[in-house]
Amino acid sequence: MAEDLNWAIGGEAGDGIDSTGKIFAQALSRAGRHVFTSKDFASRIRGGYTAYKIRTSVEQVQSVVDRLDILVALTQRTIDENLDELHEGSAIIYDGERSWDAEIPDEMTAVDVPLKSLAEEAGGAIMRNIVALGAACKITGFDVEYLDEALEKRFGGKGSKIVENNKEAARAGQEYVEENYDLSHLGYDVETTDNDYVLLNGNEAVGMGALAAGCRFYAGYPITPATSIMEYLTGRIEDYGGHVVQAEDELSAINMALGAARGGARSMTATSGAGIDLMTETFGLVAQSETPLVIADVQRSGPSTGMPTKQEQGDLNMALYGGHGEVPRFVVAPTSITECFWKTVEAFNLAEKYQTPVFLVSDLAMSVTEQTFPPEAFDMDEVEIDRGKLVDEDEADEWLDAQGHFRAHAVTEDGVSPRAIPGTTDAAHMSTGLEHDELGRRTEEEDERVQQVDKRNRKVETAREQEDWDYREFGDPDADNLVISWGSNEGALVEALDYLEADGIDVRVISVPYIFPRPDLTEEIEAADETIVVECNANGQFADVIEHDVLTRVKRINKYTGVRFKADELADDITEKLTEEVPA
Amino acid sequence: MSSDVRFTDFKSDKQPTWCPGCGDFGTMNGMMKALANTGNDPDNTFVVAGIGCSGKIGTYMHSYALHGVHGRALPVGTGVKMARPDVEVMVAGGDGDGYSIGAGHFVHAVRRNVDMTYVVMDNRIYGLTKGQASPTSRSDFETSTTPEGPKQPPVNPLALALASGASFIAQSFSSDAMRHAEIVEKAIEHDGFGFVNVFSPCVTFNDVDTYDYFRDSLVDLQEDEDHDPHDYEAAKEVILDSEKEYQGVMYQDENSVPYHEKHGVTEDMSEIPDGAPEDAMDLVREFY
Repeated sequence: MAEDLNWAIGGEAGDGIDSTGKIFAQALSRAGRHVFTSKDFASRIRGGYTAYKIRTSVEQVQSVVDRLDILVALTQRTIDENLDELHEGSAIIYDGERSWDAEIPDEMTAVDVPLKSLAEEAGGAIMRNIVALGAACKITGFDVEYLDEALEKRFGGKGSKIVENNKEAARAGQEYVEENYDLSHLGYDVETTDNDYVLLNGNEAVGMGALAAGCRFYAGYPITPATSIMEYLTGRIEDYGGHVVQAEDELSAINMALGAARGGARSMTATSGAGIDLMTETFGLVAQSETPLVIADVQRSGPSTGMPTKQEQGDLNMALYGGHGEVPRFVVAPTSITECFWKTVEAFNLAEKYQTPVFLVSDLAMSVTEQTFPPEAFDMDEVEIDRGKLVDEDEADEWLDAQGHFRAHAVTEDGVSPRAIPGTTDAAHMSTGLEHDELGRRTEEEDERVQQVDKRNRKVETAREQEDWDYREFGDPDADNLVISWGSNEGALVEALDYLEADGIDVRVISVPYIFPRPDLTEEIEAADETIVVECNANGQFADVIEHDVLTRVKRINKYTGVRFKADELADDITEKLTEEVPA
Repeated sequence: MSSDVRFTDFKSDKQPTWCPGCGDFGTMNGMMKALANTGNDPDNTFVVAGIGCSGKIGTYMHSYALHGVHGRALPVGTGVKMARPDVEVMVAGGDGDGYSIGAGHFVHAVRRNVDMTYVVMDNRIYGLTKGQASPTSRSDFETSTTPEGPKQPPVNPLALALASGASFIAQSFSSDAMRHAEIVEKAIEHDGFGFVNVFSPCVTFNDVDTYDYFRDSLVDLQEDEDHDPHDYEAAKEVILDSEKEYQGVMYQDENSVPYHEKHGVTEDMSEIPDGAPEDAMDLVREFY
């Protein structure tokens, strides 16, 4: 197991928790260390408990654990909230000059640093978190110069004075600890490497994937936690001749995206929670009019407004079944931040190859978590673009009927019709949400209805055969114990394998990135003695579809506290579940 | 664009199922004439419609078209125009589609000033659902769902547009074919959101807002030499006039800059490279 360091800063929203955490994460990444971050935030602008946690190691880390080594506590609540995770070797950095009387348990090392006054000396009280970072550097033996790079990146745009002040603040924190404490007994010494890593979160990876895939139009309405996809694309998509519209609501957003797609652009919208409900009517239109469109749903805790800043994987049934009538669709669910990139690229290709809506289902934990990767994990040379049956003028000619009308919804063997975009000579046609004939014109003829329904469904069948609806596999492929997961649980599961192995428990992990179509797991489940499905929801929506596919009962591990799985916790859950009776 | 395009080139061979005498025939013919007169052809034209009698228009016209969901035609048109500034976008709606379920989108499409033409077939009734009150129905207009009248004032779509910052506001009457086509033509030529509310009588369910009523009462702004459509105050006066109803161009902002130009969108977004763009690794390096 990796030698980890777990650091956190906590305080009230508005205390600059997020940016402080990001700066430290970037410094660690610059020092060639792997980083995995997690955030705890409330649905308010100021006030309310907020925390940013970093787990860092020289080896790849992909989950959170129940341990905190260094805690920067800006409020008493920070200490109270994290008591369970603190241990005898933990150091707590706090400001004794502040009005609250810190109650720090005796067994932990209290490091009282006058954060505010040192920050004021360096140029402003606002930099007190940077003083704390300097202090953390001293405690962990981490070279403060790496922090300089991160500060330059963060504040470079605000002028050299700001950058210098921040560097000074960091050094003030470092020196204060050096002069006043001897913390060598804690034994922290953070190793650095020459590796160059990139640090990004799931939503940034989705946005980057969209740009790599040629997405040129994005319309969305701000909603936590999907908004950062829109924020990422804004300011970057223009470099490629594209545009982002902040629409007046989600209904508008998906319809704008649909319009752009009809115009021939690779187009996308993203939302979460209530927003996906609002988009559902048009989702049916996208399918019925056979428009290629990528719709990202970054899941959060529901139903209704639920817990909008908390983790959940509760929208699987919505993605699978949402919409009236029977709607052919693809549902792709990335299992990691790199997969957020690659599956987004794939979603655009699937959408155009099969002229269908593609749900890209991510979740809050993945969307806000930053993680380090070697840049090759996002190797752009590997990106392939497949626009499917997009026809030019000459090809369109082959699809004209006897009267010279373009058969935009031609009944074909593979279910995919030719697609002509405006400007293609003689291929003008209409598409509609009404049932239609091959020309796209309304029909209620029984034969035509059946032909069109079958045609649209046949696209899914063709895709089943032509595409790789594979899964990712970890652990011991021959183990009797099988654990199945989808979405962002993969990282914690993979790390749980280490804990389980240490206890002598062999587990095969299957992580499924495709919800529909999805791989048939019959053989895998039949080969196992025990099958457990792990997901962040109360009712086991993925377990339900697995049971339906395989016609056998599975065990379930469900977490719906609003917090993602932790590796060590998951290992305990699996151990316990393995001894439990199979449900009748 | 070919110069020999005739308005019949925009006609499909599908026979409309509108009631005989419906105002929508005239509205649509005017749209087709205006498209042809402004040098467009079916291959560079995209028509978007929502739901209701007005929503059927895409079937009867020949062009690229989408018949979408109720009230959302304007966002679809916005998407098409942003992706394809080279394409002529025309959006058709009804008073229910546009001012009730789609009212929010109307306000925002207007204020965005997307370069498209929005033609609303206003018959002051829900026709396709067989005669219920619409947002533009008179407050005492008796219908199946409002036996004593809606008892609420009708929406004034022109005022709504004005208040939303419209750059082009016009009203026409489907039966006055020449004037209607001419007004739509001006809306198409306008750089920005060209809004035309068309009185398009429902002969089946509305026995108040009839052809005769409009023929007798409509005041043509063309005959008012004093009316300058570039004069905002003059526009306000006719739009807010509760005594009379007008046809013609009420308002046109000479300095209108369409949304896509303001945002620097000039390219056809349908063209993308075969793989990731050449400098795409810069996107990754940004995260160092």
